[in-house]
Amino acid sequence: MELSWEIILMQVIMGLALGAIYVLLASGLSIIFGLLDVLNFAHGTFYMLGAYATFVAISLCGNFWVGIIAAVVIVSLIGALFEMTLLKRLYGTDQIYPLLMCFGLSIFLPDIIKMIFGLVGKVVDYPSLLQGATFVDNLILPKYRIFLVVLMAVVLLALYLFMKKTSIGMIIRAATRDRLMVNCLGINVSRVWTVGFMLGVGLAALAGAVAAPMVQTIPNMGDEMTIEAFVVVVIGGLGSLGGAALGGLILGQVVSFVSLLAPDWSNVSIFLTMALILVLRPRGLFGEEGRD
Amino acid sequence: MKRFLVLTMLAGLCALAFASAAPAAPPADIGWEFPLSGPYGFYAEEMKRGVDMAVDEWNAKGGVLGKPVKVLIRDSELKADVALRRMKEFVDSGIPIIGGNLGGGISMVINQWANKNKVLYMSTCHNSLGQGSDWGYYGFTTGIKSYMTGAALADFAFEKLGKKWMVIAADYRWGHDQVAAFLVKSKAAGGEFVGAIYTPIGTRDFSAYVPQILAKKPDFLVLSVFGSDLVAAIKQFGELGLSQRVKLALPKTAMPIMKECGSAYNENVYGAVTWYWTLYKKYPNAKPFVDAYMKKFNRPPDADTDSGYVGAQTLFMAMEKAGTRTDVAKIIPALENLKWDLNQGPEHFRKCDHVRTQTVVILQGRGAKAKGWDLATVIAEVPPSKTMLPCDVDRADSVYGPIRNKLPGK
Repeated sequence: MELSWEIILMQVIMGLALGAIYVLLASGLSIIFGLLDVLNFAHGTFYMLGAYATFVAISLCGNFWVGIIAAVVIVSLIGALFEMTLLKRLYGTDQIYPLLMCFGLSIFLPDIIKMIFGLVGKVVDYPSLLQGATFVDNLILPKYRIFLVVLMAVVLLALYLFMKKTSIGMIIRAATRDRLMVNCLGINVSRVWTVGFMLGVGLAALAGAVAAPMVQTIPNMGDEMTIEAFVVVVIGGLGSLGGAALGGLILGQVVSFVSLLAPDWSNVSIFLTMALILVLRPRGLFGEEGRD
Repeated sequence: MKRFLVLTMLAGLCALAFASAAPAAPPADIGWEFPLSGPYGFYAEEMKRGVDMAVDEWNAKGGVLGKPVKVLIRDSELKADVALRRMKEFVDSGIPIIGGNLGGGISMVINQWANKNKVLYMSTCHNSLGQGSDWGYYGFTTGIKSYMTGAALADFAFEKLGKKWMVIAADYRWGHDQVAAFLVKSKAAGGEFVGAIYTPIGTRDFSAYVPQILAKKPDFLVLSVFGSDLVAAIKQFGELGLSQRVKLALPKTAMPIMKECGSAYNENVYGAVTWYWTLYKKYPNAKPFVDAYMKKFNRPPDADTDSGYVGAQTLFMAMEKAGTRTDVAKIIPALENLKWDLNQGPEHFRKCDHVRTQTVVILQGRGAKAKGWDLATVIAEVPPSKTMLPCDVDRADSVYGPIRNKLPGK
């Protein structure tokens, strides 16, 4: 196949947009793991909840932007409720117990969604402002995909500023390093964990909310996303936000170009990428030392 | 001596009692199985509802051969090993007839086992039973042969949509069947094939394929994928402007797909189904079926409902005709000679391969003009005489088989 520069550029753009979803998901997972030491096997479920909450919010208010914000807030609160009432009880026990709790949630919640919304998927349309694409000769510049890339950049910048420049961000970073010391300094670590979990889940919900117009919004839409989010986090290095961001971008490009050159390998390519990176660098791209 | 005689008589009486004891009645007349959990749950539920409606209809008029008919329905979880195990459980419990399933591959596994063990099996999904070595005397299908929808849509597409085409196909047997059907029809119609992309099931992002599709400038793109993949593809192609420039031809579509795509399922999208609910206006026998379903579920039935319904109806009709609910040796000939007129005019099973002689319906999307469940317009009905190959050709799989085994780009 002849690869013109237009095709290559468009694949890069599509890869960035795909990577944006991975980055949002993986950043949230990384925060939860880094802060709470919890392998959140329900991360894809919160992604799904984000999509459904967006559908409900837009149905009520008719506005895509309000819908997304409302969805993220609602799902973050659901995450906080889950963390405070169920997950918190398992801190300090073997790591397997919170994992199993999250895994149980990942089975329970989709079935509840099926009962409430049925088996037919829900429709979330693109916002009118971002519908369609701009065509420049053979080059397509899809508006919504470009929005995703910009959103990812804004969210990453906001996360960076939050973590580095705010008091609570500093506390979260400190709690990640040494929760006992933070506790001794009189800071309620328990509340910090809840905030951290909400932040992680909120990012997953945002990923689901912005993905909803592009994919089928069904109760099991998050099943594979949990696995893919973990792949990104492992590539980037467990607990590293920067690693999660870079891992997501790399994976987005890998999937985009493998889809172009060898489409039947597109699903497998993410696992092959993970395997290759782990062989070369077992702790991932930034690993434990890359934490910021 | 006296004691010996008494004991011998007692032993004889016991033996007689065992020999004449009636065997435990099987728990049901037919064991059905559908993937009720998992990604195709909606379609499986539709088939199950079709079966339930047929059971209710027959039992309302006294059952089969004067007794209420009973079915057992289980979840196959869309897994071949689970599906086979549950079918074996049905048969081990004494149920003489099995049916159902969704997923051509699973259907073929069940069919193979059923034929080996002489169990009557009624498949209800798109499959390739009745083709090549997959045919078996004990297998019937009210689904459709996979290539038939592709062949029907291909004829329509080359006549109405253009000659230059390419395809995105799910990388498994059903997807390959559609590609083969289009390739054969393309040659006959003077079509120009410009490329094929094979995607794994579960592909969620089709945006990566858009640049190369636009670069090749086909008149239409065959989208031989289904379920979540198809919804994602149509939505993304709508978003990226592809479906405004290239017509989409879907060898299999369904009402939830159209619903979930919303305005992206526009007038440039053409899909094939085996039945569409608005056809009750043409086939009055379908009206009670559509009305009953609407009343119960507040929306119209889908093609899969029809498949399950006709599957159950034909089995009950055959039992009645054969005068037995359990003797498969009599029920099979009754099925082979059965004619019915339920939802789509007169139909029967072709004797040589036990496949329902089914019309393919071509639908055009309505996009933003769709209202409620009136999601598409019927623009063509393609009779089986134009899509079904002669039996000897199908048995040898001599038309599509060689093409399917050497697909371009594979």
